[in-house]
Order: sequence, then C-alpha cells, then structure tokens
Amino acid sequence: MDCKHIEHQIVDYIDRQLSAEDMLIIEQHIASCRHCKAVYDDTKALFSAFENVPEASPSDDLRTGFYNLLEEEKQLLNVKVVSLSKPDKTVPWKQAFQVAASIVLLLGGYFLGSYNSEQTAHQEISELQQETMKLREGMMLAMIENQSPSKRIQAVNFTESFAKPDIKILEALIERMQYDGNMNVRLAAAEALSEFPKSTLVKEAFIEALSTQKDPSLQIAIIQFLVKIQEKRAIAPMQQLLEHEDTPDFVKAQVNSGISEII
Amino acid sequence: MLNNQQLELKKLTDEELMLDVSRGNLDAMAHIFERYNKRLYNFYFQMIRDKAICEDMTQTVFYKVIRYRTSYKGGQFVSWIFKIARNVFSDQYQKSKKTSNNENLERVVSTSTENKIDRNDDLAHLQNALNTLSIEERELIVLNRIQGIKYAKIADIVGSSEGAVKVKVHRIIKKLKTVYLETI
Repeated sequence: MDCKHIEHQIVDYIDRQLSAEDMLIIEQHIASCRHCKAVYDDTKALFSAFENVPEASPSDDLRTGFYNLLEEEKQLLNVKVVSLSKPDKTVPWKQAFQVAASIVLLLGGYFLGSYNSEQTAHQEISELQQETMKLREGMMLAMIENQSPSKRIQAVNFTESFAKPDIKILEALIERMQYDGNMNVRLAAAEALSEFPKSTLVKEAFIEALSTQKDPSLQIAIIQFLVKIQEKRAIAPMQQLLEHEDTPDFVKAQVNSGISEII
Repeated sequence: MLNNQQLELKKLTDEELMLDVSRGNLDAMAHIFERYNKRLYNFYFQMIRDKAICEDMTQTVFYKVIRYRTSYKGGQFVSWIFKIARNVFSDQYQKSKKTSNNENLERVVSTSTENKIDRNDDLAHLQNALNTLSIEERELIVLNRIQGIKYAKIADIVGSSEGAVKVKVHRIIKKLKTVYLETI
C-alpha cells in the first residue's frame, strides 16, 4: 500500500473499522512513515477535540413544555374515545325506566326507614351507651392484670369515666392499691378510689391500707382521703402510725394534723 | 399496576416504544422524550448555538412525533426521529433566512466562540473550524463525530448511500483538519 491509500484509511483505522489484517498493515506503516504518522496524529487530535465537546443541557422549560403537550394530547385522545360511543341516538327507554324505578325504591326506603328509626333511635342510643360502658369495664378489668405497670395505670385511670362503677371494678382497684408490685400503680389506684368516698367498701379498704402500706407517699394519700371523708374509724390506725418507729417524720406530721381535723 | 407498566416500558427498545405510541399508548412517549431530548438538543446546539431556538426546535420534533405517530411503521427509530429533526431544522433555517435572522445566528456563533477561547482553546478552535463548513457539511460531521451515528444510518437519514456519506465525511474531516491545525 502506498501513502495515499493509507491516508484514505486513517479514519477507519482510528475508528477500528478495518479487518485485522489491514489494521496491522497500517499500524506497521505508521510506525515507519513520518508523513503518515503526522496525518494519523492530526486526525487523532481533531477527533479528540470532537470527543471533548461538552454536552449542552436544555433548560427545564423543554421538559415542562413537553409534558404539557403530552397531557393535552392525552385529553384529546380521551375526547375522541367518548365521541366514538356517542352516535347511538335511540333513547334508551329501558335504562331510563330502570333508573327511575331505582330512584323511587331508594326514596321509599329512605322515608320508611326514617319513620321507623325515629322511634327506636333513642332506645338504641341508650343501649349503645350502656354497651360502651360495659365494654370499657371489660377492657379495664382485662388491662388491670397486664404485666406492664403503665398499662395497669392506664386501666386504673379508665375508672374516672365511670360514674357508678361496678363492684367488680372497685374490688379490682382495691386489689391494685393493696397488692400491686409497682408503687405508682398503687398510688394511681388510691387516687382513683378516692373518687368514690361514699362506698363503704372503699372506706374499709382505706382503713385497712393505712395499717398495711409502708410507702410514705401512699400513706399520705390515704390519710388525706380519710381526713376528707371524716372517717372516725381511721383514728386508731393513725395513732398506731405515730407510735411506729419506721414512720417518717413528715408522715407523722400529716397524721397529727389529720387527727386534729377529724376530731 | 402503573409502576409495573413503567418498568415494562423502560425495558423496551426505541422501536417497541414508538410502536406502542403509534397504537395510542401515549405514556410510552415520556420514555422516548427522556431518551432523546438531550440528544436532539445537542444536535441542534452544534448547528446553531442559540439555546432558545434549539429548545424550540427540540420541542417541535417531539410535537411532530406525537402528532404523526401513526405514520411510524417500524424501522430504525433513530433514523426516523432524525429525519424529523432535519426537517424541523431546515424549516427553521429557511425561516431565519427570510427574516434575516440568519445574520443574528451567525453573530451568536462567533461571539460564543470568542467567549470560550480563554476557557477552552481546543473547543474554540474546533468551533472556528466548524464555522468554515457549509450547513450540509456541518450536519454530516455533527451526526457522525458528535452524535456517533454510523454512515449507513446517516445515509438513511439524509437519503443517500452509505458509500457517498462515507466519502463526504472523510472529505470534511480532511478540510477540518487543515483549518483546525492552522489555528492551533
């Protein structure tokens, strides 16, 4: 191959578009011919300039514009679909009658229903309220046995919404106040129970608790309750507390002021 | 459902997507836009260095693709869309010739080149060299060297033969080399 022929193939050589045989021939020729090496270098330089042309980025307007266009076209397509099904010009009497009949049925049903329901509505509401109450009680009783102290406190706090709690509820609360392993639960139970000062069951429980509970804050809560309801039977256990060596001074002070109020 | 459809569309070739569009699934058009908008914009940007005009022309291409979607009957999608792109360009070029906007365009080219000289010498020299070409020559070299489209496909786009395109491109490269290396 002469130089002119080689020159013609330089581009394809750089693009690797030649047969392996021709690639080798040109490679060898370039290595030995200064002229063709120069042509090769120049072409390479031009091509690398092309490769380094940075990619330009269109602004966001192009994208926004395109998607608006697409949306418009989609709506046009939808309109076309609708207009295809339109040419059916006969009045659909059967369908119209069906629609009318269903409206009549619907209205009839509504009036009949509203007449009946007005009478039963009140009854139903009170029944519902009772049911809710029972549900809450059941939930409270279930939760009060929960392992987690915070759940038990939650259960105890449920009783706030009971105006006249079931005896089962009171018993459960008393049990919590007396025997719960967690001090906070016992305290919460005592607070909840103090909402029912008229119950003899509660009163007795408090009197009993006064002699069994060793925790100062609980003792104070109990004393406050018993003083508030002016429970005379509490005086004896309160005096016992005074004599006890373990009783902290501030509890004793509370007992002293309490006794003076009850008497 | 929609996500599945989107995933399915993503896997399709350009040709499959466009056939989908031509059958009325316009959702597939979004994928075509994402694949080609930068490419077409850059094609125009190498021809006319005016961002606004290039964006307009790119937009017009997609508008035409949507409008005339049913005219796509399979075949190389790249060739098809670049044919449209060329028509859009030639419309724009004729228009700018009539309104003598052409001179403005030429000025845009030269000023943008001057600005870039201090930033990137090689690029500026290349732009200078490209400016010496006719619009037809510039189109061929941009399609081949920047868009990386093979001679056969270019022949399909411009309506010529592979051999003729190859000879022309080689001639343009030779011409460019002289200008490019003179200025360097």
